[in-house]
Amino acid sequence: MTDLDAFARASLDGYLALVREHESTLTALDEQSGDGDFGHNLSHGLERAASRAAGAPDSEVWRSLATAFLDEVGGTSGPLFGLLFQAIARAADHASTPAEAIGNGSRDGLAAVQRVGEAQVGDRTLVDALQPAVDALAAEGDLDSAADAACRGAADSARLRARMGRASYVGERAVGHPDPGAVGIAMLFVACAQATGSEPPGAFGELTGSR
Amino acid sequence: MPQLFLPPDSEGLAPALRGFARAHEAHVVLSEDPVYFTARDRSPVRRVALVSGGGSGHEPLHAGFLGPGLLDAVAPGEVFASPHNRQVYEASRAVALDGGVLHIVKNYTGDKINFGIAAERLRADGIRVGRVLVHDDVATESDETATGRRGTGATVLVEKILGAAADRGADLDELVALGDALAARVRSVAVASESLTSVHTGERIFELADGDLEYGVGIHGERAATTMPYTDLRTLVARMLDDVMASLGSLSGDALVLVNGLGSASPLELYAVFDALARQLDDRGIAIGASLVGTLVSALDMHGFSITVLDVADPAWWELWRAGADAPAWKETNR
Repeated sequence: MTDLDAFARASLDGYLALVREHESTLTALDEQSGDGDFGHNLSHGLERAASRAAGAPDSEVWRSLATAFLDEVGGTSGPLFGLLFQAIARAADHASTPAEAIGNGSRDGLAAVQRVGEAQVGDRTLVDALQPAVDALAAEGDLDSAADAACRGAADSARLRARMGRASYVGERAVGHPDPGAVGIAMLFVACAQATGSEPPGAFGELTGSR
Repeated sequence: MPQLFLPPDSEGLAPALRGFARAHEAHVVLSEDPVYFTARDRSPVRRVALVSGGGSGHEPLHAGFLGPGLLDAVAPGEVFASPHNRQVYEASRAVALDGGVLHIVKNYTGDKINFGIAAERLRADGIRVGRVLVHDDVATESDETATGRRGTGATVLVEKILGAAADRGADLDELVALGDALAARVRSVAVASESLTSVHTGERIFELADGDLEYGVGIHGERAATTMPYTDLRTLVARMLDDVMASLGSLSGDALVLVNGLGSASPLELYAVFDALARQLDDRGIAIGASLVGTLVSALDMHGFSITVLDVADPAWWELWRAGADAPAWKETNR
C-alpha cells in the first residue's frame, strides 16, 4: 500500500465517521431547505462506498466512492458528489502527494459539477464550500487550508438565499442555516486533512455546533 | 374519481414497461437493471446514437419513438420523475456509436442534472456526448427565473427531425447545431379543463370549477399561472396562437403544426382544435407545411391539449420531417 492509498482509506473512514456523528445535523439542515433526505443519502452512500472499498484493491478506494455515489445514491446532490470522487480518483492515479491528488481532483470535480449543475459561488449549493477549498489548494497547496476554507464557505452559505436547487423553492425560509450540501463537502475536506494527521479547523466546530 | 387500471403502487412502473416491451417486441428491447429501452434496428448510416428519456406518464413519449429514423435508446424515470443518471449512462453506453451519443433532454432541472451527470461519466469513458435542450412552453417564459421555458410537445418534432438527420450520417456537432436551431424556432402552450389523476393517490391533483380552464398548464399536473373561463374554441385557440406567435416572432418559413392531446381529450376534440388552429393560421397568412394531430406527449389522463408551432426556417428540415421512420408511436401518415 502506498502512502496515497493509505490516505484514501483513512479519508473514507474519517469521512464516514464524521458524517455518522453529524448525520442528525445534516438532516435538520436539509429539512430547512429540502426534503430532509440529504444526511441519510450521504451516510448511505459512504456506507456503500466503504463496503465496495473493503473488497477492492487499495488503489480503487476513490473509485469505490465514485461508483457508490453515482450508481447507488438517489436524489441529485448524491450523484454530484460522485462526480467529485470520480475526478479525485483520476487525479490520484497521477499524483505523488495527498494534497496534489485532492487539489487536482477537486479542481476537475468542481468543473464537472458546474458543467452539470451550473451553480456559482453564492447560489447556496455545495459549490459554496467546494470553490473556496479548490482556491485554497491552488494558493496554499495544503489540505489544512482547504479544510478551513471549505468550512468557512459552508458557514457563509447561511446568509444566502438559494437561486438554484431544491432550496430555491423555499426562498428566505432557509436563510440563517448553512446549506447541507456545502456542509457535506466541508466534512470531506476536514476528513482529508485529518487523514494527514491534522486537527479539524476551528471553523468546523462553529459549523457543526451552529445548531 | 376515475378508477385507474394500474397494479398496486408497490409494483411501480414495471408492469407497464413490460407490457410496452412485449406489445412492441419487434421494435424494442427492455433492459431491467437499470431500466432502459433500446431499439432493435437502426440505419447502418447512423454515426451518432440518439438517446432521450424523462419521467414516465407522457406516453407514447419517449419510448414510442424508438426505432429506425427516430431514437436508439430511452431512459424512463418513475412517473413525472427524472431517470437516474445510471439509467441514462447505461442506455447511452448500450447504443453509443463511433461518432458518439446525442442526448435529447426536455428542460427540467432534474432531467438536465441527471443527463448531465451521465454525460460526464460517458466522456470519462471516452465517448463523445452532445445535448439538445427542448424548451418550448411559452407559459413558463420569464425574465425573472433562470430555469427558462419547460420542454413539452415540441420534443416529438425535434426527435423526428434529428432522427432523420442522424440517418443521413450527420456528425455530433451537426446534430447539436440542428437541434439547437430547431429548439430556437419552436413554441407551445397547453390548456386543461380537468386535472390528471395521481397514480399514487387516485385523486385529482387540482380541482377546477365547471367551465374553468387552466391556461398554460404543465404536463405533470402542476397548475398554471392563470385560471380562466372557457368561452368558445375559436377564442381559446386564437389566444393560444397569439401567445405562441408573440414568443416566436415572425416566421421565416412555413409552419409545422402539432395539436397534441394531454391524455383524455378525444380524437374528435383534437381535430376540432386543429380546424380552429388551421383557420386562424389561414387568416394570419401563415402557410401550414405539415401537421400532426394526436396524443403524443400526454400528462397521464389530463383533459386538455397543447398546440405547437415550428417555424421551418430551413427548407431542408421538410425533407427530414418527411423521411421514413418506423417506431411504435410513429405513423407514416403523420408526415
